[in-house]
Amino acid sequence: MAISSRLAALLALGVLPVIVVPIATGGGVSPTATMLAWIGLVLALAVLDLAVAGSPRAVRIERELPDRVRLGEPATATLLLTNRGSRNIRALVRDGWEPSAGAQPSRHGLVVPAGERRAVTMTLTPFRRGERRSHHVTVRSFGPLGLAARQATLAEPAAIRVLPPFASRRHLPSRLARLRELDGRTSVMIRGQGSEFDSLRDYVRGDDVRSIDWRATARRRDPATGTGQRVVVRTWRPERDRRIVIVIDSGRTSAARIDNELRIDTAFESSLLLAALASRAGDRIDTVIYDRRVRARVQGTTGSELLARMVTAMAPVDPELIETDWTAVPALVTSVTNRQALVVLMTSIDSPGNSRALLGVLPQLARRHRVLVCSVTDPTVKEASRERKDRDGVFRAAAAERAMLDTARVSAAIRRLGGDVVTGTPQELPPALADRYLALKAAGQL
Amino acid sequence: MTASPSVATPTVRATARRWLYWVIFAVAAITLALVAFIGAGAGRPLGVPLDPQGPGPAGAKALVEVLRDRGVTVTLTESMADTREAAKSDAATLVLHDRAGILDADAAASAARIAEHLVVIDPTYDVLSGLAPEVAHAGAVEGVLDADCSLAPVQRAERVVGDGQGYRHIGDSQDVTTCLDSGDSVASLIQVREGGRTVSVVGTTAALSNERIAQHGNAAFALGLLGEHPHLVWYVPGLGDLPGDAPDIAELTPPWVTPVTVLLLLVVVAAGVAQGRRLGPLVVERLPVTVRATETMEGRARLYQRSSARLRALDALRVGTVQRLAGMVKLPASAPVEQVADLVAALVGQAPQSVKALLVGTIPHSDRELIELSDRLLELDRAVADATRP
Repeated sequence: MAISSRLAALLALGVLPVIVVPIATGGGVSPTATMLAWIGLVLALAVLDLAVAGSPRAVRIERELPDRVRLGEPATATLLLTNRGSRNIRALVRDGWEPSAGAQPSRHGLVVPAGERRAVTMTLTPFRRGERRSHHVTVRSFGPLGLAARQATLAEPAAIRVLPPFASRRHLPSRLARLRELDGRTSVMIRGQGSEFDSLRDYVRGDDVRSIDWRATARRRDPATGTGQRVVVRTWRPERDRRIVIVIDSGRTSAARIDNELRIDTAFESSLLLAALASRAGDRIDTVIYDRRVRARVQGTTGSELLARMVTAMAPVDPELIETDWTAVPALVTSVTNRQALVVLMTSIDSPGNSRALLGVLPQLARRHRVLVCSVTDPTVKEASRERKDRDGVFRAAAAERAMLDTARVSAAIRRLGGDVVTGTPQELPPALADRYLALKAAGQL
Repeated sequence: MTASPSVATPTVRATARRWLYWVIFAVAAITLALVAFIGAGAGRPLGVPLDPQGPGPAGAKALVEVLRDRGVTVTLTESMADTREAAKSDAATLVLHDRAGILDADAAASAARIAEHLVVIDPTYDVLSGLAPEVAHAGAVEGVLDADCSLAPVQRAERVVGDGQGYRHIGDSQDVTTCLDSGDSVASLIQVREGGRTVSVVGTTAALSNERIAQHGNAAFALGLLGEHPHLVWYVPGLGDLPGDAPDIAELTPPWVTPVTVLLLLVVVAAGVAQGRRLGPLVVERLPVTVRATETMEGRARLYQRSSARLRALDALRVGTVQRLAGMVKLPASAPVEQVADLVAALVGQAPQSVKALLVGTIPHSDRELIELSDRLLELDRAVADATRP
């Protein structure tokens, strides 16, 4: 049950009769009696209104809702209200979305005549990744006077999966262009780019003389004339069908917020860019999100399906406040592939203490695979190391310098153990990882 | 209307059924508690002091009832007119107990003319000055007092609880009896006779109360004092005795003010309820854990600062600078500092000794030196960066 402000206003209107009636009747009716009569009248009207109001329990709810939406993009959600009762419902409806689902407007006024169906639409603009839910819809049904209302909450759960935004896809066209350069599709072929033998063909002007294959040239006879030496060059292309295993750390260090973005979100962005690029280059990508258990896994998918599967798997994963169990990671990678692979570890390398477990398993991983450790660096640390105006600033700069040294020490240790390191601010890291991948590809080191 | 199973809000009937047990329980508990309290007599109020109808410890009902048992007609009055009416028939004792301080001196003087014997209990200053101007207040009295005068009630009582007020006779009138002296000529009972009328000023309030009337000779004292005549009028001045005819605030305001105020209060309550009713239950936002990444750095900075770890802080700055410089002059990160210092000094044209002192040697003894050194490190960093920029 609920009452409306209209009831309060009506009650306030009673001030007039309380003053006027005793004067008009010449004191025949006392002000107190008038007041009591007015309150009784208002109460009677409210009770009448409540009795006539349509039952909100008779409403059946259906939802029309996209099952996924990219973070930052709006989605339209529709509620269909069917009035199965025998009286009209003048309703105020609220859909119980979580605040981060960004439902606008949050409440709707509408009239559903008896036995009919009406729709209300709202725009969801989620501002947090993951599963955004609504558990219930509340219907408040006013009587014809709008004084009092019956209210019921109808359990009608719904969820929309908010996918990572993949904002780093703006870097994709330029990296794809570089990939095509590697792939021999441009007219200029430069030796040294790519490492897999592609084909032999006749020399054309402009080819690198170093790519001339003399043995093939010696065997070659012009089929048309049988005479006349033609020079033959080798062409190369980057290796294909390499395996890439991305391991994203969802432990407590990934919960750190850097530059208004969680570490794990940056890891997702970087993984998506790498996956988009590598799948175009013909490599196979497997992704595992892991802390002490596998939180999500995308395996054995190729082509256009891959990115969709990845964002869907990543969407509901939030970092947990537990220490990542690195000792199980080599076995995890082995379970994904037996072949030599590029293993990309998305974690943080802030301090030697925190990275001890990671450093412990690196030799084991590096023996079989090429290991790349990706970590987000905090731009404010670098800024702080330059701000040395006063005493506070100098101590802060020292602490920042110390933090950078720690990162450098861990990086050096990783390199000594056979791994490689890519670091960058949240904006820089995805393209930096893509560039490192292209460099490895060009050098034929996958 | 059949409620579908998906409705989360319970029906009125379901709510009532769920609360029924508790309502019954609460009612039963309250009833039980009330019965127990009343039965035990606990929590009974002390009552108004010396209220002739008060059964509480502070009341004086016991005294009044005993007087009635002994054949004294006791009339309780609350206004001067009633008192006059009640006392005019025959010889009467008038008890005046002005606990609210209502009577002024003139009114008290007129009360003295009503009855032959006027007993004033714990009088105010006004009453005392109207009735017996020769008697003055002398402060509080405690303890049990012995009979020390010829008055019959006091003689019979022998010992009386004196807790209450004491009075002093300050005039030189002869027809005055002072009794129950508690030292320093402070008396708890002073009887003044004047033209055939007697005024007794009584301060022993405790001796008359229900709680203590049975102690010592209190009962004999009280009954003897008040039961002298067959008629007793117990006069407690009420609001009707207040002087003055000025209209009070209730008479000045228009009659609708109170109802309108009540109505507006109800409006406020109704508006609050209307606005305060939630449209459905609260929705919980499941927040993920997030940690500010710079927390460690800030914490370490505060630690340095609190312990004034100047050398440690400077060392961190130095190591960072040396590594950057080594990178800029194309030396490996593992190159010795001396080598870096020499190369850098040559590059920027400074004395190798001073550069070496800056990068390794100098120990800061104050914050000022620390800031200065850190500034110089930054300058060196910039100078080398400028010099090596192609």
